[in-house]
Amino acid sequence: MAYLQMRGITKLYSASGVLANDTVDLSVEENEIHAVIGENGAGKSTLMKLLYGLEQPDAGEILIRGESVVIKDPLAANRLGIGMVHQHFKLVPDFTVAENVVLGSEPRKRGLFIDRKTAERDVAKVIEEHGFSIDAKRKIKDLTVGQMQQVEIVKMLYRNAELLILDEPTSVLTEQEIESLFATLRNLLNRGKTIILITHKLDEVKHMSHRVTVMRNGKVVAVRNTSDVDKKELSRLMVGKDILLEVNRIPKAFGDAVLEMRRVSIHCRGQQRPLLDEIDLQVRAGELVGIAGVGGNGLAEIEDVIGGLRSVTQGRMFLNGEDVTSMGAEQLRKAGLAYVPADRLHRGASLPSTVRENCIVTKHHDFLKAGVLQRGSIREFTKHLIDHFSISAGETMPVGNLSGGNIQKMILARELAAQSNFILFSEPTWGLDIASSQFIYEKMLELRAQGAGVLLISSNLDEILGLADTILVLYRGRIVGRMANTEGLSKQIIGEYMLGVRDDFHETVATSQSVVGHG
Amino acid sequence: MDRQRVIRVLNSLTGLILTVGIAFAIVIILILFLSKEPATAIYYFFVGPFTKAYYLGNMLNQSIGLMFTGLGIAVAFKSSTFNLGGEGQAYAGAVVTTVILLALPLMPGIVGGTAALVGAVAIGALLAGFSGFFKMRWGTDQLISSFLISAAVILIVNYLVTGPLDDPTNSMLTTARIAKQYQLLQIFKPSKLDISIVFAAAIAIGTYFFMQRTHWGYEMRMCGVNREFSKYAGINVGKYFLIPMAISGGFHGLAGGVAVMGTYYRCLKGVTAGLGWNGIAVALIAKNNPIAVIPAALFFAYLDAGAKAAMLHSDVTFELAKIAQAMIFFLVTAQALYGIFNFKKKVTT
Repeated sequence: MAYLQMRGITKLYSASGVLANDTVDLSVEENEIHAVIGENGAGKSTLMKLLYGLEQPDAGEILIRGESVVIKDPLAANRLGIGMVHQHFKLVPDFTVAENVVLGSEPRKRGLFIDRKTAERDVAKVIEEHGFSIDAKRKIKDLTVGQMQQVEIVKMLYRNAELLILDEPTSVLTEQEIESLFATLRNLLNRGKTIILITHKLDEVKHMSHRVTVMRNGKVVAVRNTSDVDKKELSRLMVGKDILLEVNRIPKAFGDAVLEMRRVSIHCRGQQRPLLDEIDLQVRAGELVGIAGVGGNGLAEIEDVIGGLRSVTQGRMFLNGEDVTSMGAEQLRKAGLAYVPADRLHRGASLPSTVRENCIVTKHHDFLKAGVLQRGSIREFTKHLIDHFSISAGETMPVGNLSGGNIQKMILARELAAQSNFILFSEPTWGLDIASSQFIYEKMLELRAQGAGVLLISSNLDEILGLADTILVLYRGRIVGRMANTEGLSKQIIGEYMLGVRDDFHETVATSQSVVGHG
Repeated sequence: MDRQRVIRVLNSLTGLILTVGIAFAIVIILILFLSKEPATAIYYFFVGPFTKAYYLGNMLNQSIGLMFTGLGIAVAFKSSTFNLGGEGQAYAGAVVTTVILLALPLMPGIVGGTAALVGAVAIGALLAGFSGFFKMRWGTDQLISSFLISAAVILIVNYLVTGPLDDPTNSMLTTARIAKQYQLLQIFKPSKLDISIVFAAAIAIGTYFFMQRTHWGYEMRMCGVNREFSKYAGINVGKYFLIPMAISGGFHGLAGGVAVMGTYYRCLKGVTAGLGWNGIAVALIAKNNPIAVIPAALFFAYLDAGAKAAMLHSDVTFELAKIAQAMIFFLVTAQALYGIFNFKKKVTT
């Protein structure tokens, strides 16, 4: 009998209308390492949240050793022997290792005081038994990232976890730390523990797991013995078949470069690997360039740099031939930037403000007469945008009352009103329904036809393949693939670039060894 | 005003009225328990301020300073900057006004008075501006920096008033009296009410217009609701840590200056004590709406006058009056804060 069974698990986020898990089945045998893989938004994190009691499923049941259980919160999960190590650690920096480990289930003296001695002794015992290399008396802030992760694992072992869920555990670790994590996992396996490994790194799956469950769009698409599949097969399963978007992209000649990046890098203190690594890129007039990649590989950083919200440590950026490298958003807007951000709810719009206030934000200077905003022309302008982009909203409604699709349309309308010859789209259709997505696609192609340079950053391969003239793929902050979007190009090929299976520019062996694992 | 907005305003008003009602009920119960002559006490607590022209005038006079400090806080909060230094800024405004008026050679009242108030605004803006500047430059927490600067300023002004500026001809801890022509026109004798209440109300309306209709006001409000969004859209968000703080400080300075020129005619030790903190309560009740600051300040002044009247005319002690007053404020501000947080929650989920 399987140790853990999840049957027909369904979870609908009613606020956003996203069906995150659709009748998902997961079966984990006792004492195995079971990998759960999938792209961003495939539903693996949701599934784990349901298992750890952070969320409740709308349908389906969870069985442990054949017995049906209800996991109402993480404490209940702990009692059932389930422990989770989050991707982002939840530790108190000023507390010692022992204090952090016992937090929430502290040994007491006379029922009132924390028994520090016992805590330290017990925690040291767990550390020693499992062969970790941390001192229970040290403070968290003095530890390395790898050691902090060990503390998280110890925390779960201290609570007698039999089943450990590790969410993207290698994403923040260095190469050596990854090795030592793997050794730890093998050790835990020898001690009879069961491990669920959430990841989108195929190397780790092949290297560590016994079996693998592949998720896509909230569903389980495959369960395999790891030894029976190769990385290509896994990447094919993860990205799925090509879906042809119903868009009509007419080939045309490109003009001069409107946006250019030359060897742009972002180095971060304390990180071995640059967030962006010598990015060269060019968007020409009338060209739609797509940047694909899995989240965490530099997509967000490129967006921030072009949007003027993050400065680079090396390299130059040009907009319409003007050097805009050191400009902030304010100056970049003046230099002709239009930009539809990925985070439309916080960056792209101000939810408590009215539609009118949101519509004029990038060009309110145009509505001034003697320093006073002219209500008449603002009303006219907003009405114009609402009509032309068929946004269903009242002008004085708070934007927070609009649907996701309408918010995105409003942002799009506002950004297009600037009539720039360059426009950046980041994850423009994320979470939107098909009709709204289609609307956005048509607008993007319209811009391209009018001769604007369009840059599309997206982790949605279908839209990249359907829209882009030129495709770049980012992996670990570096461009690993650069190709024209021709007939023969398939989602599988781009998927392989995205997951690091293919790399066209892998010439610098020396740097690749010091590269830090990242997902 | 469209229908939706009318409904929204009515909704928030009903909540406020209900809260005030509950608060009043609690005060009545308190008095019933603690007073031997509860009927008289309750009468003076609620009706007292209206029983004599003198009380009424003084009540209105007290609201002037609260309007200015309430406006100062409203502007800061509306822009998501935080000014906890109102006490020091108002006090500094008072002493600077006094110093200027004592130092000036005799000249027409309007000229000298304006100069003095400009000085008051400048010192307030400067003191609060420091906090804004620190935040802009180094990300220093404004709550802390404005509070600490103010705490230091209060001690410095205390020293000035009781030391170098002390008037040896009287026994009070105060500066000398300002000249007759610099004293603001009294409009409701024998009470202290002066002409500046008209200015305060006009400035409140002007501030509303400034925030809602001008380009600066718009950018400040956008920074107030969402700085990430403002920055993305090309608004210079750094600037809007400084400007709202300076404006806020300016209003506080003005409150101090007007207190000297309209009410006390000299800078006593602790002359503006309470104005800064109470301004925060006024702004919260007004939900940071500059026009609503006018009734909110009047309401605050009314409560204070009621407590004083009850003390004078019944056995209600100073402590009981203060407790009753605090009770009302606790509930009203809690209601105001609840509204703010509730909205934020609705929006984020």
